[in-house]
Amino acid sequence: MAAVAPVSHHNKWHDRYPELGTKPIPIEPYISREYFEKERERIFSKVWLNIGRVEQIPQPGNYFVKDLAVCHTSILVVRGKDGAVRAFHNMCSHRGNQLVWDKQGTCQLFACKFHGWTYALDGSLRHITDEDNFFGLKKETLGMTPVAVDTWEGFIFINVDPNPKETLAEYLGEIGTGITGYPFDEVSVTCFSWQTDLKANWKVIKDSFQEVYHISTLHRRTVGNVFAGRSNAYSHALDFTLFPRHGRISLFGNADRQPTAVESLAQRYGSMLVKHDFSVEKMPKGVNPTRDPSWSVDGNILFPNCLIYVSEGTYLTHILWPLAENRTWWEVRVYYPKATTLAQRFSQEYSKIIFRDLLMEDGSTMERTQSMLGSGAKQEIQLQDEELLVRQHHKVTETYLNA
Amino acid sequence: MRQGRNTKRKAGRTAECPLPKPFQDLAPYLAWSLPTERERSAKRQASTMAEITAFYQAMLPRMEEVLPYLAQFSPENTPADVKSLFFLTLSLAEVAPAVENFGQPSVVEGYDIARFIPVHD
Repeated sequence: MAAVAPVSHHNKWHDRYPELGTKPIPIEPYISREYFEKERERIFSKVWLNIGRVEQIPQPGNYFVKDLAVCHTSILVVRGKDGAVRAFHNMCSHRGNQLVWDKQGTCQLFACKFHGWTYALDGSLRHITDEDNFFGLKKETLGMTPVAVDTWEGFIFINVDPNPKETLAEYLGEIGTGITGYPFDEVSVTCFSWQTDLKANWKVIKDSFQEVYHISTLHRRTVGNVFAGRSNAYSHALDFTLFPRHGRISLFGNADRQPTAVESLAQRYGSMLVKHDFSVEKMPKGVNPTRDPSWSVDGNILFPNCLIYVSEGTYLTHILWPLAENRTWWEVRVYYPKATTLAQRFSQEYSKIIFRDLLMEDGSTMERTQSMLGSGAKQEIQLQDEELLVRQHHKVTETYLNA
Repeated sequence: MRQGRNTKRKAGRTAECPLPKPFQDLAPYLAWSLPTERERSAKRQASTMAEITAFYQAMLPRMEEVLPYLAQFSPENTPADVKSLFFLTLSLAEVAPAVENFGQPSVVEGYDIARFIPVHD
């Protein structure tokens, strides 16, 4: 017989962070063009943003391009001859043409397709076509405009602020140091990635992945019983820890769950042989912070738009690029260690496909939510205790916008 | 002499032996042996539940032999017939949610999968 839950106010996470309050939050930030432009100007143009990983550019001469419409630019990231990672606005100093037109590649020099001006991997201008016909150009002042770039655990961050107010390490702070030491490099060898242009505000997407309250309903056909069980019917988190801007949710995993037939095969043949020891004692303090034996995964929510979910032997990221107040370029990446056999590769495939399909459950929901948010029928959304991160994001954003 | 050796090697990869010998019973399902997620996903979406279920029910009981067999091979330098078998298992992974979770080819009330672009293929 099911126990009747007592009527009570369960707000232990909000008790931990009383400064956030418990009121509803406004809908306007999710639908307003003006708010979107303020986010662009006061947040995205000022903070460290994750745009890739070092495995994308392992060798000198490797480069990739990240279009950042939200920052009104395109960023060229390149591994120099000296092995250093550099980033530049992808723009020729002559008349502003976009310098590199493809998404990634390898080269020794970047040549503009317009008039042939040529740049070295360190961004310096090497060659001006018909140089004598110019009027006293100083080549050394006409290199590509650099963009602040730094890496943390192999993640490449840039900051388009010409004078960033803080270093990347300062920006990440304790959430970064807490998970430094997780074997990102070993687990990043294999990457499966999807992208889509979704008709929803970037925060609608972010909210979907910073709460698990929806899992037992929306994902009842896929992973409903992964994060909920008899001892935890509503997928309550093992822990929420908030940092000044970032936040972390630590999740329960249901050990009583019966896998499906194909899932069972994937589990049995998917043992991942990695050098790193994934046992909980060896994990950094910020991974499974409560050291709970029923732990499954942590969501490290980096303000503003980068979510890194770490688990045993695999991790995944969501990166959300605002395109408009009701449109987002959503990038998902799932990382696994190198599969040493085809059976392990099958196992990774199953895991990746069921994950992709659960994202499809979120995708349609997010677009429908956005369509109704824009109706004006309501002005507020209501948040429960386990939706703490939604509230935190709103508060941090207000701090930036009102600064 | 060299030509003879080449011919012999080529014969091992022709249509006469598309799958490793122990698994030739799966040959009727070779249309599911597809190298990319995009293709496998498209085939799942274009198939009827009867077609998906037939493939699933043919593969599942064989997997207890297929997987230990595939565990002998690394993803590099895989012989063509082993690769064909391997791609069949990837298609099983692709259709599994349709059979085990949704009871239909597509995610129930889900986002249009054609809009969710796999970059890794």
